[in-house]
Amino acid sequence: MTTQAGARVNPVDDFVREELYPGYKQAFGSQPYVAGPVRPFSKADNARYWLRDSLHFSEGMVPASIATLDDAQTWGAQLGAEIVGVPPTRGSVNRLAGTHVYIGIIDVDTDWQIQSRAARFGPYVGPILADFDRYWGMRAAELQSAYDHFDNLDLAGMDPAQLWTTVKDAYAFHRRAWFIHFEVMYVLTANYLAFYQLAEEIGLGGSIVSALLAGEQTFYAKTDEELWKLARRARDLEVSSPLRHADAAEMRRQIEALPNGRIWWGEFEAFLRTYGWRMEETCRVDTPSWVEDPTPALYTIGTFLSKPETFDFHAARQLAVAERDAQIEAARRAVNGSDLQRFNEALASNQAANFAWWNEEHNYLIDRRAAIPVRQASLELGARLAAEGRIERPDDLFFLFKPELFDVMEGGGAASWPNLAAMIPDRRAYFEEWRRRGPELPTMLGTIPDSVPDPIMIEVFGLSGHFLETLKGGAAEVTELRGFPASKGVVEGVARVITTVTEISKVQPGEILVCGGTTTKWTPVFGIIKACVCDTGGSLTHAAIVSREYGIPCVVGTAAATQTIKTGDRIRVDGRQGTVQVLASQVQ
Amino acid sequence: MTTDASAGTAAGAAVLDLADIRIADVGRVGAKVARLGELAAAGWPVPDGYAVTVDALGDWLPAAARSELARLFAEPDTGLLHRLSAHAQALIESQPLPQWLAEEVTRAHERLRARTGLGQDLKVAVRSSAIGEDGAGASYAGQYATYLGLTDVADVLDHIRKCWASGFTAHALHYRSRAGEDELHTHDLAVGVLQLVDVRSAGVVFTLDPVSGNRDRMVIEANWGFGESVVSGHVTPDQWVVDKASGAIVSRTVGAKYVWSAFDPDAGKVVLAPLPGELSGQPCLDDDEVRYLCAKAAEIERREGSPQDVEWAIARDIALPASVFILQHRPETTWGEADPEPPTAPEPAAAPAKAFDPVQYALRNVFKVPGT
Repeated sequence: MTTQAGARVNPVDDFVREELYPGYKQAFGSQPYVAGPVRPFSKADNARYWLRDSLHFSEGMVPASIATLDDAQTWGAQLGAEIVGVPPTRGSVNRLAGTHVYIGIIDVDTDWQIQSRAARFGPYVGPILADFDRYWGMRAAELQSAYDHFDNLDLAGMDPAQLWTTVKDAYAFHRRAWFIHFEVMYVLTANYLAFYQLAEEIGLGGSIVSALLAGEQTFYAKTDEELWKLARRARDLEVSSPLRHADAAEMRRQIEALPNGRIWWGEFEAFLRTYGWRMEETCRVDTPSWVEDPTPALYTIGTFLSKPETFDFHAARQLAVAERDAQIEAARRAVNGSDLQRFNEALASNQAANFAWWNEEHNYLIDRRAAIPVRQASLELGARLAAEGRIERPDDLFFLFKPELFDVMEGGGAASWPNLAAMIPDRRAYFEEWRRRGPELPTMLGTIPDSVPDPIMIEVFGLSGHFLETLKGGAAEVTELRGFPASKGVVEGVARVITTVTEISKVQPGEILVCGGTTTKWTPVFGIIKACVCDTGGSLTHAAIVSREYGIPCVVGTAAATQTIKTGDRIRVDGRQGTVQVLASQVQ
Repeated sequence: MTTDASAGTAAGAAVLDLADIRIADVGRVGAKVARLGELAAAGWPVPDGYAVTVDALGDWLPAAARSELARLFAEPDTGLLHRLSAHAQALIESQPLPQWLAEEVTRAHERLRARTGLGQDLKVAVRSSAIGEDGAGASYAGQYATYLGLTDVADVLDHIRKCWASGFTAHALHYRSRAGEDELHTHDLAVGVLQLVDVRSAGVVFTLDPVSGNRDRMVIEANWGFGESVVSGHVTPDQWVVDKASGAIVSRTVGAKYVWSAFDPDAGKVVLAPLPGELSGQPCLDDDEVRYLCAKAAEIERREGSPQDVEWAIARDIALPASVFILQHRPETTWGEADPEPPTAPEPAAAPAKAFDPVQYALRNVFKVPGT
C-alpha cells in the first residue's frame, strides 16, 4: 500500500485490547496459521488500513463465531492465496473492534516473492480455467456429500463420545469448505479481472463486463422464484393474512387453523427441505438456518404479498438474457480485428468459468451453509450440558471460545465448567453492547492509503481511488457521491438509510435503500425498493447482482453514502453514471 | 467366410506378438502398438502384448452385413445420427468372429500369459488403434473403444469384436458426413491387446531441464495413478531435479496434487478423480525410483542421440526394477535438436492459435507483475 505524508489516520486506539472478550486472552487452538489469526487491534495496526466488513458480518461475532471466522475469511483466504499463488496478496487477516469484523490485506511486498508467486500462478490457474465445469463439479460434489452426511445424522440418538466426534468433524468440514471457497474465488477473480482489464484496454470500459456475464440461473434466484410461487399459492389457498405476523410458530398456528392451511404449510416445508439450508450471515453459528427457524422465509413471502402484482421471474430472466446478448452484440460491433478476437476469447473464458455466476452461486454451498453442521451439533451438545446444569441454556455454548470448549471437553487444560459458565452472562452483555455500537463504527480504521495494490480487494469491496479519497476527505459537505455504476437506470426518490439488517422492516415500498452493503438476508427488500446505494462493494457485490435481477438502479462503492445521506432526503440515483445526488436534505 | 486356403497366409499375419512388431508395421497395427514394439525391440521394459492386425479385419464382415450397413447409412438424414450409429453398432457386434481368428487370438493370449508369468491373473487392455484416414480418426476419436481390465480369453475375443464395431461405426459416421464422395469400405482398424499394468505412479522424465534447457539436469514430473493427470496438466505434479553426471537428486518438490487418473472399474476406464487426501501431500516416488528412472532415461537419450522426454509408469506391488515400464519417448522439441517427423512421436494436432490467455493477461495487466 502507498501512503503520503500527512495521510488520514482513523486511530484504532479506542479498540486496542489485550483480551478478545473481557476475561479471555486468546489461545490459538488451531495453529498453524498461514499468516496470522483473528486478533483484537493493537497499536501497530495504526500503520495499516482496516476495512469494516459489514458486507459479510453486520451485527458482530459471538465467541464461537470467531472460530468459524478464523477458519473462513482468515485462514481460508490465506491458504487459498498461498496455494493459488496470487502475486500481490497473501490473503486477508481480521481484527475485531469489540465484536465487529475488520478486514486487512497482507500485501506481498518483495520482488522475489511476487515473481515466484507469478511463476506458480499460471500452471495452477490455467488448467482449472480450461476445465472449470468439471473442476467445480468435483468441488460441489465434495461439499454436497458432506451435507448429505451431516444433515442426516441422528444427533439426539448419539452417545456423548459420538456427539463430540461430530462437533469436531463439523469444524473440520467447515475449515475445508472455506479453503475450497478461496481457492475457487482467487482463480475466478483472475479470469474476471483479466476480462475487465481487457475491456478497459480496448475501449469498452470495464464496468460493462459484469452485465455481459449476467443472466445465468443461480440457486438463490431459484429460491426467490419459489418464494414468489409460495406467495401466489398463499393467495390462491387464502392463507395469506397470517403471513404478516412476526413469529414463525404463531404464523404456523394461525395458518394451520385455516381450511387450506395444512396444504400450504406442507408445500412450505417441502420448499424448506431443498432451499432452507441457509443461515442469514456467514460464519454466524449463533443464528439459525431457515430449516430451524423459517421466519425470514415467511417474512419474505409476506413482503411479496404486500406488492399488488407478483414479479414474473421467467419474463425478467428472459429480458435479462436478451439484454445481455444485445450488449454482447453491441460490444462486438464496437471493436475490430485482433481486439475482437481477444474480446471473444476473453468472453468465452469467462462464460466457461463465470465469476459473476459463481460469486452468487457458491453462497448456498459454502457461505450460508458450511457453519450449519457446527451449529446443529453444538446446540445438541449445549442442550445436554444445560440439562446437566453445567450451563444455563443450550446457546450459552456459543459464548465459549472454541479452545475453551475443546479444553473443557477433552480435559488437560485449566478450564472448568463453573469458571466458564460464570463468564457467559458478561459475554452476552458485551456482545449486546457492541451490537448497539455497530452502526457508529468507521468504515475504515488505521491509515487510509492512496491506493490498494490488490485488485481483488478493489473489486470485492469497491476500494477505488475515489472511494479512498472520499474517506479521507470526510463526508460533511458532500452533495454528490460517486461510486461504481452497478445497475443502470435513473430515479429520484426518498432515501431510507439502514445500517443494520435488523432494521430492514422499516423500509417502505418505493423508497431508495441506502446502506453499508447487502447480503442475501437483504434480498427480499429488493422486491419493494426503487433503487439501492451502498458504501462498499464492486461490480459483483450482492446488491449489484440483485439490483440487475430486479431491474432497479444501483450504485455501490460510494464510501460514504450512509454518512452523507439521511433518511427522508430526496436523492437522485444514476446507475449508469454511478452518481448519487442529494436534491433536498431533510435535516437543514 | 474365409475358410479357403488363402486364409492360412492371412491368418499367419493376423495376430502379431509385440516382440515381432516394428515401427514399419505402423500400417498394420496402428501407431501406438508399433511404437511400443519398437521400444520393446530396443530392450526397454514395456507392457507386453499382441496385436490383431488390419489384415484380420479385412474379410471379417460378411457381405450381407456390409450391404445392410451401406443401406442404413444411405437413408435420408433424419438428424438422428446417434440412433443410426447404435443400429450399425448392434448389427456389427452380432457378427461372430471367424473360428481361425479366435484360435489365433487364443494362442497369442496363452503366449502372453506365459511371457508375463501371470497366467490366469493376467489383466489386459483391449484398445482400438485406427490407421490412416487423415482427420477421421481425430474427429471420431470418441467412437473408438478401449476396454480395460479383462482376464478371460472369451471376454477378450468379445471385446476385439466391439473394437471393430466401433471402428466401423466411426467410419460410417464419417462417410455419412461427406456422402457421395466415398464408398463405405472396410475401415482400417487394428486392435492391441496389452498387459494392463496396475499403475501406482506415473509421469515423465525430461533428460534436460525443460524450462532452462540446461542439459546437465534431468527433471521428473509425476503423480499417483496413471500418467494422464500429469501429461494433461491437470495437476501440479511432484518434481525432482537430478544432476545428470552424478545422479544426485538436486531438489524435491511435492506438488499440490488434488486429482489423479485412476482406473474406475464401474466405468471400465481411467478417469480423473479427487486424489485420496492421505496421498496428496506424499511424494509419489522414492529416491531409488527417481535415480533408476533417470538412469534409464539417460540411456535412451544416449541411444537416440538427442534430449528426450520419456513417459513411464511404475506398477504397484512389484519390486524395482521390474516395476518400471517405459510407455513412450520422444525428442524434447523445445530445446532438443530439430528432428522433423520423429518416427516414435506423431505430432499432436496443433491447437488453434490463441489471442487471449486470461492467466498471462491477469499477471501482466491486473496484477502488474514486472517482466510478464
